[in-house]
Amino acid sequence: MGRYVLKRLLNAIPLLFAILFFVFLFIHLIPGDPARLVAGIDATKEEVALIREQLGLNKPLLTQYFEYMKGLLTFDLGDSIKGGMSVAEMIAPRFKPTIILTILSILWATLLGVVIGIVSAVKRGKILDYTGMVIAISGISIPGFWLGLILIQIFSVSLGWLPTGGITTWKSYILPSLTMGSGVMAILARFTRSAMLETMREDYIRTARAKGLREMLVIGRHAFKNSLIQVVTVLGLQIGGLLTGSVLVETVFSIPGLGRLLVDSINYRDYKVVQALLLFFAFEYVIVNLVVDVLYGVLNPKIRYN
Amino acid sequence: MKKYKKFLTLFLAGVMTVSLAACSNQPNKSNETNSQGTQAKASSDSTDGDLLTASDADSKSADNDLVIAIEGSISTLDPHNVTDTNSIATTRGIYESLIEFDENQEFVGLLAESWDISEDSLTYTFNLRKGVKFQDGTYFNSAAVKANFDRLLDVDNSLSRRRAFVVTNSDGTETPRIESIETPDDYTVVFKLVNPYSVFINKMAQISIVSPAAIEQHGNDIMYNPCGTGPFIYEEWTEGDHTTMMRNEDYWGEVASVDSVTIKEVPEAGSRTAMLQTGEADFVYPMPADQIAAVENNGDITVSASASNIMRYVTLNTELEALSDVRIRQAMNYAIDKEAYIQLMYAGYAEIASSTVPSIINFYSAQTPYTYDLEKAKSLMEEAGYGDGFTLTLWGDNSTQEIKGMTFVKQQLEQIGITAEVVPMEPATVSDKIYVEREEAAVQMWYVNWSASDFSMDSSMRALLISTYAPPTSANTAFYNNSEFDDLMEQGLLTADEAEQTEIYSKAQELAWNDAPWLFLANDQVIYATKSYLSDVRVRPDGSFNFVNAVLEQ
Repeated sequence: MGRYVLKRLLNAIPLLFAILFFVFLFIHLIPGDPARLVAGIDATKEEVALIREQLGLNKPLLTQYFEYMKGLLTFDLGDSIKGGMSVAEMIAPRFKPTIILTILSILWATLLGVVIGIVSAVKRGKILDYTGMVIAISGISIPGFWLGLILIQIFSVSLGWLPTGGITTWKSYILPSLTMGSGVMAILARFTRSAMLETMREDYIRTARAKGLREMLVIGRHAFKNSLIQVVTVLGLQIGGLLTGSVLVETVFSIPGLGRLLVDSINYRDYKVVQALLLFFAFEYVIVNLVVDVLYGVLNPKIRYN
Repeated sequence: MKKYKKFLTLFLAGVMTVSLAACSNQPNKSNETNSQGTQAKASSDSTDGDLLTASDADSKSADNDLVIAIEGSISTLDPHNVTDTNSIATTRGIYESLIEFDENQEFVGLLAESWDISEDSLTYTFNLRKGVKFQDGTYFNSAAVKANFDRLLDVDNSLSRRRAFVVTNSDGTETPRIESIETPDDYTVVFKLVNPYSVFINKMAQISIVSPAAIEQHGNDIMYNPCGTGPFIYEEWTEGDHTTMMRNEDYWGEVASVDSVTIKEVPEAGSRTAMLQTGEADFVYPMPADQIAAVENNGDITVSASASNIMRYVTLNTELEALSDVRIRQAMNYAIDKEAYIQLMYAGYAEIASSTVPSIINFYSAQTPYTYDLEKAKSLMEEAGYGDGFTLTLWGDNSTQEIKGMTFVKQQLEQIGITAEVVPMEPATVSDKIYVEREEAAVQMWYVNWSASDFSMDSSMRALLISTYAPPTSANTAFYNNSEFDDLMEQGLLTADEAEQTEIYSKAQELAWNDAPWLFLANDQVIYATKSYLSDVRVRPDGSFNFVNAVLEQ
């Protein structure tokens, strides 16, 4: 297992290199001149040229690429074009809010989604099933943006229980993570339900019941455990999408996270920040995929990696 | 099954009713101002004042800490490197300049008690205030001012504010505007200019004085360690989230009333409104017009509007055959219902443009309006031989608000047979397409806005209308080429005498107005909201919030 993990991590390195190359290329090729954006629309051509030189953007693309790669080897991510902060300094404080938010969203989504899915499957055709599926459909259909604003209106403005945004206390993370997790929760609910329904039809479930096993154990130990693989797959696929969702949630709840930073820096054509962020996101994808694959092995002894 | 279907329908109906109820109080998203604002005004007489006055005038603040929620973000706290109004406004709590603008855009002394400009407009003498200390205990004097300018003008520091004091020539070389800075004694600073530059005084209002000891110690890292003479001392800055400063007990002037000031970055308008309602924020800017209805029932929130320096217009490429005839451009101006424009775009909270610059700019003079007159417009088109109209492209940013404005212009122009194809693009893309070589210029009409942060007439028109500033050099996308206008603008810079400037700029505005290189639209107002227990926090016409005199009623 250890060797498998190591092999996967090593394989990730050329992948990340390739991703970085394409990201670098594309972001430098999209229209928009960062020097002009920094200088302002009223700056003269000469003033813009001066700034372009200061930012190192007048060098040929390949030179810029090699200089950047050289910097990466010494862990130097470069400087942001806005105000001259180093990229590392700009990104570092933004990790914590986004990671906390993402983890909490996954927890909410998994907890609520799986529970709703199981209950819906077990009580199939009854009220609880329909309720669960309505909640699931709402979770997918309701735009995160709107949901966030509604939650603020209800819980912050009307009831005054929770803060409207920011990251001041642990309470600040409740509404945002609920909002961000709502889409994944919905999908998990539906998938868990179908996975459970499928599993419960299997012969071994009938055997377990015939054995006289308590229904709780039948569902909990046998049915659920075997549907977990599907659940884990779906979760793994959805985590990537969580990051895009984080932009909207971070905007509505004024959370200084990575999602907002990514959008802002693309608008500003802050190349170095975008490159660093996309590199991080790509790396995160690799890790998540790896964790999912390892979990398969844990959940199903037949899938083992030697 | 049937039982559950009924239940399901009832349940869904219930959900929809609940969401509709919540929706009625629901602000719209981000900074898109909705035209269905309930505060639509009957006429364009939007004078400054309160749009909504708090009914509960006795409300009290829970604490003595001022919290301001803004839409934008703070890019840096280095006052010599700031370009955006939010960062500028924030630094003004910690830093001060020699002179500043008062609420009528007049110059008043701040760190300078008085100043004098020589007859030939070349020598500016500032008499500095005595007994002022920086927040690190060192003294403010003429040497400090000189040290600041030494730092600012050093090209190796790459400070954005340096540009105002240097002329970049077409061959890439530079000519400084300041010939020398002398300090005959501890409280006198004398600036000698190479050539007369009447807006030098405006530029001086934008340069804050940093403690030389701090500059010495931190260099360009001063952005993380601000140290000035202002009424607040820097506490912390979390980039992308908030900036906090504490009261300066040793301030040379009236010590601030509030204990601390926190500027929070809240990009979503609905969230800012919510913060104001819960009291998490005491002051909010901007406040889109469509949010006003949401706070009416709070009772302790006041919404105010005041004039801004924003000019909204559409540039017309005068080099195109169809737009080269002034009669056509004037016809297009007559074809636009400006009243309807400000109702649609700003719920009435704007002034119809009455000159090439907003009314609060120094030396503004009102021009003869291009009234909404379709008959006149059509007859002018006939006269010019374009009775059948023509087709053009209209470029602009792709935000909802801009697209709305462009669509309005398009509809208005259709009334006189002109077909305008609206092409919304990302701001960086528009910029790219505009700054191309002359031969490749493809811009026809450009829906855009402008604001001069130093309130000078020169900054309001130079880059936009002087012939040598056509792209790719700068932003004169109308390719306006009037040598008389160019001369007047140069003359305006050569004299610091106000009476002379008034005459010169009056003529310049009249020329540009009558030549109609633009479709003159409007000057929107800045709208902000505050709790009634807070007084003396305002937003200046350039969009910068002013909080140094804030008082929280406790």
